[in-house]
Amino acid sequence: MSRYRIADDVAWVSHEALDAHELPSAYVTRLPHGPPTTLEGPACVVWLALAEGGSSDEIAAAAALMWGIEPDEIRGDVLALVEELVALGLATTG
Amino acid sequence: MTPMTQQASAATGQMPIGARVHLAHAVVQKLADDRGIDLLHLKGPAVLPGLRAGGRQSSDVDVLVRPSHLHLLVTALESVGFEQRTDFATGSVFAHAANWWHDSWGWVDVHVSWPGVTIDAERAFEVLSRDSVQHPIAHRACPVPGRTAQRLVLVLHAARSGGGTADIEGSWTVADPEERAEVRGLTAELGAEVALAAGIGELELHRGAPTYALWHQFVHGGSRLDEWRARLTAATGARAKAELLTSALRVNRDHLRMELGHPPTRQEVRARQLRRLRRAVDELSRRVGRR
Repeated sequence: MSRYRIADDVAWVSHEALDAHELPSAYVTRLPHGPPTTLEGPACVVWLALAEGGSSDEIAAAAALMWGIEPDEIRGDVLALVEELVALGLATTG
Repeated sequence: MTPMTQQASAATGQMPIGARVHLAHAVVQKLADDRGIDLLHLKGPAVLPGLRAGGRQSSDVDVLVRPSHLHLLVTALESVGFEQRTDFATGSVFAHAANWWHDSWGWVDVHVSWPGVTIDAERAFEVLSRDSVQHPIAHRACPVPGRTAQRLVLVLHAARSGGGTADIEGSWTVADPEERAEVRGLTAELGAEVALAAGIGELELHRGAPTYALWHQFVHGGSRLDEWRARLTAATGARAKAELLTSALRVNRDHLRMELGHPPTRQEVRARQLRRLRRAVDELSRRVGRR
């Protein structure tokens, strides 16, 4: 199974606290040309899980834990998002 | 698209300014890494923990570049779409900084020296970078001055900006005697004694210094006439004084362009010259009236 991580030439910043009353957001870019990309809400949660690295199952499990839901509920969406991030060059495999 | 992927968007306009500044620091550092450019990140997210009161947010990126590497940095910035908006002659009183703009990353202020430092700029960079540390900004390692140099940079900036108390508080007031002694030692090495004194309330100890009036004006304010008189006093040598007077008569086209949002026309420059002249007349008439 593929393992995913944030690509080497990426800079990112996020709201430090995943406050339930605020929409968590991460701001991500490839260096040095950009463009900047905003990952909001669940997409930000997946990004923070991706920052730890792992398989899509592990990332889904970490995101589900942060989100407080069952991994099975989001596994398909998580994989789709991670693959999209790979296509954008923001994430990589291996 | 799934609901989750719909929430991943290229959304520059929605990006908070704080996030933009963090990413912009990382962009500049990437350019420097790729081209072997020596620079230091200053202020904002480059400030080490504990040196500044919380809640402060920068609106632009400040970097100090090794002066002999400036041309490399300029080429690098412009290669990714930054546009120069002010030059070093018009960017500030000290002719020490120029500004670049990027539609995604905002403002980058490139400094070749720091206000208050009087030794040769190349040597000053060596001194300020001597104890530099790698500090993460947007998850990228960025070189920043060491703690002592950061204290001095923040105090000098505060003095230049009219005595910002938060920076003085975080970088000087709370420093213990040993830390203050280290800052004073570095200050002497950089020839920045008058500027430091202006920041920490000791300026009157330097009444005889050529730059006294200039720093007094920064800290305590004054009219444009007072500022020019102070700058004239601080300028050393006939040539420097002549250049200063020439620039005093010249409208700052870069700033006017930023203010108007378009390159100024000849009529607009002329109107601005007349406005400055009238302001000078007003100042003089107030001065005469006081006698």
